Amino acid sequence: MTLGKTATLAFLVILAVLLFSAMGALPETTDRMEAGGPTWHILRSAVPDTGAVNLVTAVLFDYRAFDTLGEATVIFTAVAGVVLVFAREAMVLSGKGLSPLAKKSMDILTPFIALLGFYVILFGHISPGGGFQGGVILASWAILVVLIYGIRTEEDVLTGFVKMFLESAGALLFVALGAVALIGGREFLSNLAAGFSPGDVGSVISAGSIPLLNVAIGLKVASGLAMMFVTMSKKDGDS
Amino acid sequence: MIETTVVYILLALLVISGTAAVFFRRVINSVISLSVFSVTLAAVFLVYRAPDVAMAEAVVGAGLMTALFLVTISRTQGGDH
Repeated sequence: MTLGKTATLAFLVILAVLLFSAMGALPETTDRMEAGGPTWHILRSAVPDTGAVNLVTAVLFDYRAFDTLGEATVIFTAVAGVVLVFAREAMVLSGKGLSPLAKKSMDILTPFIALLGFYVILFGHISPGGGFQGGVILASWAILVVLIYGIRTEEDVLTGFVKMFLESAGALLFVALGAVALIGGREFLSNLAAGFSPGDVGSVISAGSIPLLNVAIGLKVASGLAMMFVTMSKKDGDS
Repeated sequence: MIETTVVYILLALLVISGTAAVFFRRVINSVISLSVFSVTLAAVFLVYRAPDVAMAEAVVGAGLMTALFLVTISRTQGGDH
């Protein structure tokens, strides 16, 4: 065994020992549930505070909505970077798409994939899911359309300009919903405190601004990631 | 009881698919193996009652990342597909 391999092995063993000893130092689940802790507080007061039954969404889009805005900005920057690097006059990679069999299967699947995506976005505050997950489902739908029908069909249905518009509209809708709270003198992105109605807890139209924020994030993520994939799957004209 | 068994099977599959992703010679095989890894990880999250995380892991890890990896590979290997 060469010196390099021995050194690598020793490094890996030390890393494994450190990681396993760190696992033992993790706090027990029950510790974090103690009275007065954050878990305890959220379990007790998230539903009256936000009106959302899905507590994960309640944290993401109410208590920590500002962090979600930051994550959305990260995706926006990533998409902008990819488009900047790849977008040139380009020729299509797979203009015609796959066989008629695959196209026919996609014809049948299309409404169900779209339905699942919109369901996950719109029911984010009631059931598992939310704007991000639903947005990625819709983006995968666009990716499937590109792969199966060919990139030209995808661009006929939804041009790059429309996707760009949808992404920017999602980001602006999120910020605008946050700014509504400023009018009443509340904190940026505050929800029920800013006068959004809690509605009938557990129904689709409830939880104040959370479903709207979900729609904004869903639009943004779906169009952004779809744009990223379409841009990357084009081939340079000169190669 | 049965839950524990399921978790052990899934964790074993995680180790196998993760290791396989490193050791496969062809990049395509590694990408597929990573996709299996993501689906398994999503199942583990589901067993531990974190459906939100499971959904994100499934759609991002198995769906989007695989597609982006494949596009990148097909672009960098110059028509070798």
